[in-house]
Amino acid sequence: MKKYTYSLLAIVFSIFTFAQNQSEKFQFKVTAGLNIGGLSPIPLPDNIREIKSYDPGFNPSVGVEGLYQFHNKWSVGISPRVEYKGMKVKDRVMYFHTLIQMGEGSEAASFEGDFSGINYTESKNVYLGVPVFVQFTPGEKWHYRLGGYIAFLLDSRFKGTVSDGYIRNGGSLGEKVEVTTASFDFSDKMQKADYGLYAGISRDVSARFSVDLSLQWGLRSAFPSSFTGISFPMYNIYGQLGTSYRF
Amino acid sequence: MKKILYLFVMFFMVSCIGEEPLNPEADVEEFTIDPQLLTSKTIIDQANRKILIYLKPEAYQNGISPTLTLSKGATSSPASGTLIKFDQPVFYTISSESGGNQKKYDIEVVEIGTWTFNFETWFANRESGYEFPLDNDIQIWSSGNPGVALSGVPSQADVYPTRSTPNGFNGTKAAQLTTIPGNQLSEFLGIKLFPGSFFLGDFNSEQALANPLAATEFGQPYFDMPDKFTGYYTYTPGATFQDQAGNPVAGQKDRFSLYAVMFNGPDRLNGTNINTSDKIIARAELPNDVPASTEFKRFEVPFTYIPGRTPGNNVMVAIVASSSYQGDTYRGAIGSRLIVDSLRIIAK
Repeated sequence: MKKYTYSLLAIVFSIFTFAQNQSEKFQFKVTAGLNIGGLSPIPLPDNIREIKSYDPGFNPSVGVEGLYQFHNKWSVGISPRVEYKGMKVKDRVMYFHTLIQMGEGSEAASFEGDFSGINYTESKNVYLGVPVFVQFTPGEKWHYRLGGYIAFLLDSRFKGTVSDGYIRNGGSLGEKVEVTTASFDFSDKMQKADYGLYAGISRDVSARFSVDLSLQWGLRSAFPSSFTGISFPMYNIYGQLGTSYRF
Repeated sequence: MKKILYLFVMFFMVSCIGEEPLNPEADVEEFTIDPQLLTSKTIIDQANRKILIYLKPEAYQNGISPTLTLSKGATSSPASGTLIKFDQPVFYTISSESGGNQKKYDIEVVEIGTWTFNFETWFANRESGYEFPLDNDIQIWSSGNPGVALSGVPSQADVYPTRSTPNGFNGTKAAQLTTIPGNQLSEFLGIKLFPGSFFLGDFNSEQALANPLAATEFGQPYFDMPDKFTGYYTYTPGATFQDQAGNPVAGQKDRFSLYAVMFNGPDRLNGTNINTSDKIIARAELPNDVPASTEFKRFEVPFTYIPGRTPGNNVMVAIVASSSYQGDTYRGAIGSRLIVDSLRIIAK
């Protein structure tokens, strides 16, 4: 975590120093925002029958942004930030396939089955995210951005419970075993890096302040394909409501 | 603003939910026979896909017309209500609503003849690999093995606490119960050891996680008054007795438990009430404070009738054995081993 903070600071300073020298074409900003979204399969598989509750939680994002204007209407930018991506969701699932493996060699134990019942998942992950984008400014105040991002997982939490249902041992034909409640924790199974698409709109509200709305659409499953606890890929899909201050 | 965004996200997610998938399940959930034709309650052994029925002789002669309750949308062949006769093996094939899944249930008519159990014939569960003995080709003995199978142990007989051994009394096969350590998945549920258990009755997998003690259903119908419980056993306790948390308990030694219970059915007793139920009429329990021995010892214990309890029309008898006497609370010593052979209930 410390390592990442230092590297972020280094980026901030280098951009800052650079921006001071080239203030015409370069812009330097600090950004803050809130992420709202979820770690979700796309599209929702029909095993998920009902979203009973959804809480986006508090997912702040802070970072810096550097922009270089290479044409009177076009710029390129980079926006490194440390951000939370999280959610709490409770849903009802049917015939949800899972295979949980623990231990190795003679200690190895694995359980495979189909669960029907209530699933509650809490995820809260910290990423060092780096969107890189092209910005189009047709007029004075509005800016449109399109690009991609890469993100590095700094800290992860993905855990929850299954309850009020049953699991079928092995698969849909296995014997039914009632589950009153059982917990799971897949925090350490998550991929260390994520990438995806980035798009946004921002509007200048004063000489130095602007507000923006952006979307980060993950294209890499949050779990490796070797992980079988969840039978479908899950993607980070997060919108951000943000503000930035230009120096 | 934030509220609107939540709503938007919720709407987006909910609007994506498609049609409910067709049911892939193909269970016989209930198998109902006119109770007039039965001597005991039907057992549906889901793990082994068997339906064990207890018929009066005339019902066995004339056949029966059971009513089946199936998983939603599933169909059965033969259909529910069809007259089935026992002049050939009877089985039902269940097809799921989704079409792709089929499950075959064998119907077995239970008849316990002599109440002498030598454990010479053993059979392995198809998927999980654990063994159970057959008596006249019918499974009337069960164990905690189907529960252990759910903790994901490899599919081979020798990783389970209860299995056959060739080193029985007089060099024949016998039932061997060993207390074994839990694994990573079971420890996740707070289970640090699995005692070897073995009993007359069935294991109800449905309760295996939610209420493991209720999953062990004890007893088979008995038509006389039991007098004595006899048999042969050896017992060697494991080295270190541990508590439920897996910590060693200084000075405590493991013991086995082996007893027979006569009670009023037709409902079976289970691990939660086998010692306390007021349906119990008589008990025969071996003293377990005995020195370790690898030589077979014969035992003969009389049934002690509880004053004031009267047998009804559906008397049942259970035999229950465990390699750790406090195994029902996951206390015991890993390695404790009980071997039982030639168990017998002698009537008055």
